[in-house]
Amino acid sequence: MIAVLGLIVGVVAGLVVRPVVPTLVEPYLPIAVVAALDAVFGGLRAMLDGIFDDKVFVVSFLSNVVVAALIVFLGDKLGVGAQLSTGVVVVLGIRIFSNAAAIRRHVFRA
Amino acid sequence: MSLLNNAMNHSLDDGYAQAAARRGAEGQSGMPRTVRAKLGLAGGLVLAALVVTVGAAQARVSAPELAKERQELISRINEGDKRTDSLQRRVDGLRKDVEAKQRKALEKHGGDEAEVVGLLSGALPVHGQGIKLVVDDAKDTQDSDTGGPRQSSGFSDNGRVRDRDLQRVVNGLWESGAEAVSVNGQRLTSLSAIRAAGDAILVDNKPLVPPYTLLAVGPGQKLSTTFQDSADGQYLQVLKENYGVRTSISTQDDVRLPAAPSLIVRTAKPVQTGEGSRS
Repeated sequence: MIAVLGLIVGVVAGLVVRPVVPTLVEPYLPIAVVAALDAVFGGLRAMLDGIFDDKVFVVSFLSNVVVAALIVFLGDKLGVGAQLSTGVVVVLGIRIFSNAAAIRRHVFRA
Repeated sequence: MSLLNNAMNHSLDDGYAQAAARRGAEGQSGMPRTVRAKLGLAGGLVLAALVVTVGAAQARVSAPELAKERQELISRINEGDKRTDSLQRRVDGLRKDVEAKQRKALEKHGGDEAEVVGLLSGALPVHGQGIKLVVDDAKDTQDSDTGGPRQSSGFSDNGRVRDRDLQRVVNGLWESGAEAVSVNGQRLTSLSAIRAAGDAILVDNKPLVPPYTLLAVGPGQKLSTTFQDSADGQYLQVLKENYGVRTSISTQDDVRLPAAPSLIVRTAKPVQTGEGSRS
């Protein structure tokens, strides 16, 4: 219950407060979003698999976002930011897809 | 491929499996039970939702931003264009000024013969008795009337008037006693060039469109006859008979020729009185 409340509070806060994203962080926001989605889908699948663990979820979410942003940041500094963000998006995208497929199997049994 | 396989097979964080194994050993069940754990999960979810929402909001905010930037760039381009135009207009004005001054200077330094020098050099507009000679491409030449000189298939076909035809005609006019000549309103001077560039005939680097109207100031009927009897007149006649180039010549009581657009003296200097060589 509290978890669902947290989800709603997060969305509402994002919409109402409209935090101004610092320009320094702005390039990493899309990657952070993809990483967050990956963590969320992973958590959802784990819940359906019955092996959900709150600590693992929070830690994996935070580390995903930070590492993804870090990789892109490093790539930017090295001059291969676009390529590295493509790589991050591809890997996370594959994970999101297969997690979503697993969730679909759980929900629809198909 | 193993990299992709790895990404596919380990789509779920390994941490979940390990945690489950640990819990299995301790005999607990999956979902968080304590309030603290629930709050932790809620905090994580808040963060996740926040990031995704902010990302979406940012994308929506930055879309008009991009459009605005684009608009700004466009307006800057337009501004630059306008500035270039005004500069170009200034250049044109100054050029005209310089031309007028040059013309005046030439008139002045002509001394007693100012008028004659001005007339013969093309610095002054002239009028007087003369002839009008119209030369045009043959009738069946492609596009000669519609597309202008640049769209047609070039000099490949024989009915077209070429630059050297025009050169011969102009030289013939000079030879026959013309005092001033213009082609399609372009006054010819001693430095004028009749050339071809691609498909077009250029006089002083300005492209001409057929028909080519040559105006020559000279002793009317005499000039006409002399020209037609000269070698170049004969040449024109040959062009007419063999290739269908259309020509017509007529004497005029009063032809008006403009001044040459620019009289540029590049290296010549007027001879100073006293030190000039008298060879």
